[in-house]
Amino acid sequence: MNAILTIILVLIGAPILGCLLAGIDRKITSRLQGRVGPPLLQPYYDVRKLLEKDNMVVNRSQNFYVVIYVVFVILSLIMLALKADILMIVFVYTISSVALIVGGMSTGSPYARIGSSREIMAILSYEPILILYALSIYLLTGSFNLSALDKASTPLLMYTPLIFISMLFVMNIKFKKSPFDYSTSHHAHQELVKGMFTEYSGPGMAGIEIGHFFEYVFLLGLMFVFWNINIVIGLLIALIAFLFVIIMDNITARVYWQWMLKVSWTVLLIISVVNIVFLYVTQIKMV
Amino acid sequence: MLGTTVMLLIIAPIIFSLLFVALPKSLYKVLAWAFFLVGVATSVMLVLDGTGKVEVTGSNFATFESIVLILEVLIILYIFYVSAKHKNWPTLALIAISTFLTAYSYMNIAKVESAFFNIDQLSQVMILIVNIIGTAIILFATGYMDQYEEHRHLNRQKTFYFTMSFFLAAMNGLVMADTLGWLFLFWEITTLCSFVLISYNQDEEGINNGFRALALNLVGGIAFSVAIILFSTNLNIANLSEVGANSKATAVILPVALLCIAGFAKSAQMPFQSWLLGAMVAPTPVSALLHSSTMVNAGVYIIVKLVPAFANTPLGTAIAIYGSFTFIMCSALALSQRNAKRVLAYSTIANLGLIIGSAGIGSPLAVAAAIMLILFHAISKALLFLCTGEIEHTIGSRDIEDMSGLIKKAPLLTMLASLGMISMLLPPFGVLLTKWVSMEAASSNPIVTIFLVLGSALTTVYYVKWLGTILSSTMDKNITHHLKPETYFPLSFLGLCIVVTSIFVFTIYNYFIQPQVETLLNIAPAVSGQAGQFTSEIGAFAYAAIFVVLALAILIYFATKNMFTPRPAGYYMCGENNLEKDKLMFRNGLCSYDKSSVSNIYLQDTFGENKLTTLGYAISILLIIAALAGGVI
Repeated sequence: MNAILTIILVLIGAPILGCLLAGIDRKITSRLQGRVGPPLLQPYYDVRKLLEKDNMVVNRSQNFYVVIYVVFVILSLIMLALKADILMIVFVYTISSVALIVGGMSTGSPYARIGSSREIMAILSYEPILILYALSIYLLTGSFNLSALDKASTPLLMYTPLIFISMLFVMNIKFKKSPFDYSTSHHAHQELVKGMFTEYSGPGMAGIEIGHFFEYVFLLGLMFVFWNINIVIGLLIALIAFLFVIIMDNITARVYWQWMLKVSWTVLLIISVVNIVFLYVTQIKMV
Repeated sequence: MLGTTVMLLIIAPIIFSLLFVALPKSLYKVLAWAFFLVGVATSVMLVLDGTGKVEVTGSNFATFESIVLILEVLIILYIFYVSAKHKNWPTLALIAISTFLTAYSYMNIAKVESAFFNIDQLSQVMILIVNIIGTAIILFATGYMDQYEEHRHLNRQKTFYFTMSFFLAAMNGLVMADTLGWLFLFWEITTLCSFVLISYNQDEEGINNGFRALALNLVGGIAFSVAIILFSTNLNIANLSEVGANSKATAVILPVALLCIAGFAKSAQMPFQSWLLGAMVAPTPVSALLHSSTMVNAGVYIIVKLVPAFANTPLGTAIAIYGSFTFIMCSALALSQRNAKRVLAYSTIANLGLIIGSAGIGSPLAVAAAIMLILFHAISKALLFLCTGEIEHTIGSRDIEDMSGLIKKAPLLTMLASLGMISMLLPPFGVLLTKWVSMEAASSNPIVTIFLVLGSALTTVYYVKWLGTILSSTMDKNITHHLKPETYFPLSFLGLCIVVTSIFVFTIYNYFIQPQVETLLNIAPAVSGQAGQFTSEIGAFAYAAIFVVLALAILIYFATKNMFTPRPAGYYMCGENNLEKDKLMFRNGLCSYDKSSVSNIYLQDTFGENKLTTLGYAISILLIIAALAGGVI
């Protein structure tokens, strides 16, 4: 019964929360740029308007991938809310990322294909870190199930500070924000048109936006897990991660994808591995 | 009853191989269908007969023993003949050593009175793979080889089908034989058959690559015969199943390590990987047969069988690190390849590395993962190889970049190839389930885990790249592509197998894997399954939920499809479209048009073969030496 309640809460609450997050993002960004910015609910108005537009497609199957993306983002969020196996959650989340990439490529537009192949490189950069994050939870609790963290008395962050730093960058990559916004961008300064989503418009684009709302909540949920023993501090951690992403977005310029790959496979991966090795050596257990 | 089935499994493919020689080409299609049905029937019969040992004694044994001896002599003479004919001195030297060892073991090894076939669940799984997937591949070949030979002006189909069928007989023998001497004969027959098949084209490249395969597998064969001699003289072991029982003796470690090296060579692990890459010159059905369902599986089969001898020993740890190292190295190499067959080749080596790595970890969960991966990998990889062959016939290229727009040219083929790729990297399909199990099982060994994590990210990248390319729709003209039943039936059948085995993964687990792990390690993995979940003590894989959600997604798509009528449009090209031509043109500064072309990222400078292969050789050889040293000390 509780599980069903959680699922309903996710299905209704997450898009609202995600929509507000997107609105806050735009508000803060415009203030940082010295603009007034759109109203808080602008992302919602956008989606409503997009849904009314014509369904212009290049390829009749392109919207199928959007459905897969949205549905699997929701599934991974539900699994996170139900405290399922974290490794499994990462894999399910991969389905949704792959669906977006293939969707972009399926249109055949050169802009979309460039965006998609860069996003594939993003997977190469962040996926190992996500799995190491899952591994650290296993090492500390003896189980990949997130529910094992409930019994912990100390927060995860105490033993995984380096993985936390890596995860902050993963957030930046997954939110598709500067300096990692090379596959597609929220800003209008892209030379790649809209990268992966170039050929998406109307309802298809609305679907992607709704998926993003869920994805925002999901990603911040992963950060929340770092301090899940106290809801307030956990939410605060998630909020800090969110603000970090927005501020990074506004103070940095986008870089080459090669740079991101270098940073993630050297600095981020090494500090994560150091953290993991530390957990192995000390054999600390949280429960 | 079991004894009859065992004999039938070896004799039926031999009969078919002779029929292929005797009957004219026009009957090959009928013959292949019959072979497929017989293969399915006999392998299912074996599963229904249950497990057990079959002893061959008395006059039967004497007859078989002389057949074995004659065949061994014939193989040796044939290899001497071909290597002398083509003046291939390394092979000649290796076969000379091998002959010496065979003669030595014939003179010195204590004679046994009987031989055994040991049918356990692993044998059953292997028999199902060999006889169902193997015959499906031969069926596919009947629709493929005519066109292939036409392009290359060859007429060697009799040799081709004879060798392919004979190969299946040898493979069946290999996975059922318990007596090491017999197992070794089947082992050498598969080596020889692979040589014949790889050098099928009879051009210089084919023959060279054939010899490379022969030489490297002879190295493995030599390790194998030394192991037999050591087993027999020091420990009085003549059967594979006795090896595990003697696991406490220290003298057992060295021959076990040697057998593992023989397995590495057969499974084309680094540093032996070059034979598998070279084998890609052969026709696609050969690649599919050697690299998914038979040849390479022989290597991992023997390693899994040896698990009780090295589980939780330093040798086991060395094997785990070695296997996972091959996994990451070959995944990285696959990333830099444009040639679809080479991508598949590296992916095969990588996945076999994962199987070996899991076997090396040696915990019940890990061994279960290894056996399941053998099964799921065989199905998915057979489908992918055959699809690549069919794609090559459709578009005339095996370069991944040339495959863009395939969805418009051959929709069914593209769907099947996509299914194959998705099943290699995404849940809820079997390969990912096993990857999940092995990751959870490996979490006790940090080096192995980190290799697995990085390797699996690389795997995702090279498959998604390819998947996106074949699914991308270009504005190219559609080409007509007719569907032949003998090519499309095996493809669809394999596709169906992927889905069915993934849905019934827990049934398969209960029926085959769990009893097998119990036989090997005396403990069952702590895995339970309720409500479509695969639950271990440290996690849960909810595959049913994903199937349901996937079905839901498809439903949602079709339900909402009509709410928004699609209006087709051309690409957005920044207002510079050339709508008259093929719509992929940009207008340049001279007011003429340039074609836009986009290609995937291959990272050749980082993961290219010239960058990584030497490193791979060095580290893998060091690891093998470490494993051997661990065995001796």
